[in-house]
Amino acid sequence: MMVALAIHSEMSVPLSRGPRRRAGAALMDANALIQSIAQSSDRQAFVKLFDHFAPRVKALLMRQGTPADLAEELAQETLLMVWRKAALFDPTRAGASTWIAAIARNLRIDAARREKRSRLPDVLDILQGEEPEQPDQVFDGSERDSRVRAALTSLSPDQLRVVQLAFMEGLSHQDVAKRLSIPLGTVKSRLRLAMARMRGSLEDLR
Amino acid sequence: MSMSHRPSDETLAAFAAGRLDEGLALVVAAHVEINPQTRRDLADIDALSGAFLDSIEPEPMGIDARSLSIALPQRSAEPPQRPSAPPDAAGLAVLAPYTLGRWQSVGRGVALRRVEVPSSDSRVFMLRAQPGTRLPAHRHTGAEWTTIISGAYQHEYGRYAAGDFDEADDRHAHTPVVDPYEGCTCIVALTGNVRFEGMIGRLLQPFVRL
Repeated sequence: MMVALAIHSEMSVPLSRGPRRRAGAALMDANALIQSIAQSSDRQAFVKLFDHFAPRVKALLMRQGTPADLAEELAQETLLMVWRKAALFDPTRAGASTWIAAIARNLRIDAARREKRSRLPDVLDILQGEEPEQPDQVFDGSERDSRVRAALTSLSPDQLRVVQLAFMEGLSHQDVAKRLSIPLGTVKSRLRLAMARMRGSLEDLR
Repeated sequence: MSMSHRPSDETLAAFAAGRLDEGLALVVAAHVEINPQTRRDLADIDALSGAFLDSIEPEPMGIDARSLSIALPQRSAEPPQRPSAPPDAAGLAVLAPYTLGRWQSVGRGVALRRVEVPSSDSRVFMLRAQPGTRLPAHRHTGAEWTTIISGAYQHEYGRYAAGDFDEADDRHAHTPVVDPYEGCTCIVALTGNVRFEGMIGRLLQPFVRL
């Protein structure tokens, strides 16, 4: 059974401390749109996915230090990859957002290491597609995504900031400590608590 | 399988973000492939990226999706094929993108084969040791990351069995002893320099020299 995830802007975590924006977009079932591309090369579905995800992929890449023009290019490539690989999307493994974030990540690594001919994007791709070890532990990937999102909203602003820097911007713990001018031990304990809360919220899915 | 001999969240985050040296990353990838618990931990970290993607303030795109959708390539009916484990790579699919050298005996029940990782600053190899082999004592100036593929070994810091990850750095000197019944096959990445002692050490040295 598959529970579709409704992406709804009002439910989103305000990552910046800026004002919340109400996006005009209606509820969107990203899983269904990807599956519609897989089944019938649905161009309308592509447009909807692109409108929702490409600007977010671009923003995420920029937060990770990718220059704006390259981020734009990689965001386009990411959505083209969604078009091409739609048949490989497996909602029992990861929700649409997680799957798309992983595609963007692989393209970013590929772009950064192209002259060095790194095989790392292929390796990450292979791991992404590995069969789950125990079939009885399979659960809906969207369920994991929405619980992780909920766990993020429950963090204190201090905790959320270290989680963002460590996991979204990809800084080492040392660099997080420098950026926030706080002791390394504080970074580690905040992250430990945040990860424990996140994993706690996923416990019954294991 | 041990529950404790696994990469830290910091190492996994660096791996997931593509910030690790490719050789070290390949050893982590081998561990992720065969250790279901770490695979779940990595899936949690990937789900964080998904959550960030959902909640981030969008950046306007310079191109319109409708104009792009007209020029979309024809989708093939067949889903793209995933690579499978290359022959004689101990079943590891993550080795598929790499060229593997020939197994070479270095004597005393130890054989090595190189894994060619051109972009890497580390040296990567698979190591196969007969039951009961005592590997040479050694020290490093850099990191030595190992994933045990089958069998086990034991050293000063514990017993490491199939699926475990062993992260040693320059603070560690160790003398691994291979399981007396099962032997051991593992994949290793080394950064910096390693100084071996003893006879197998001298035989290993050419393989791991910078």
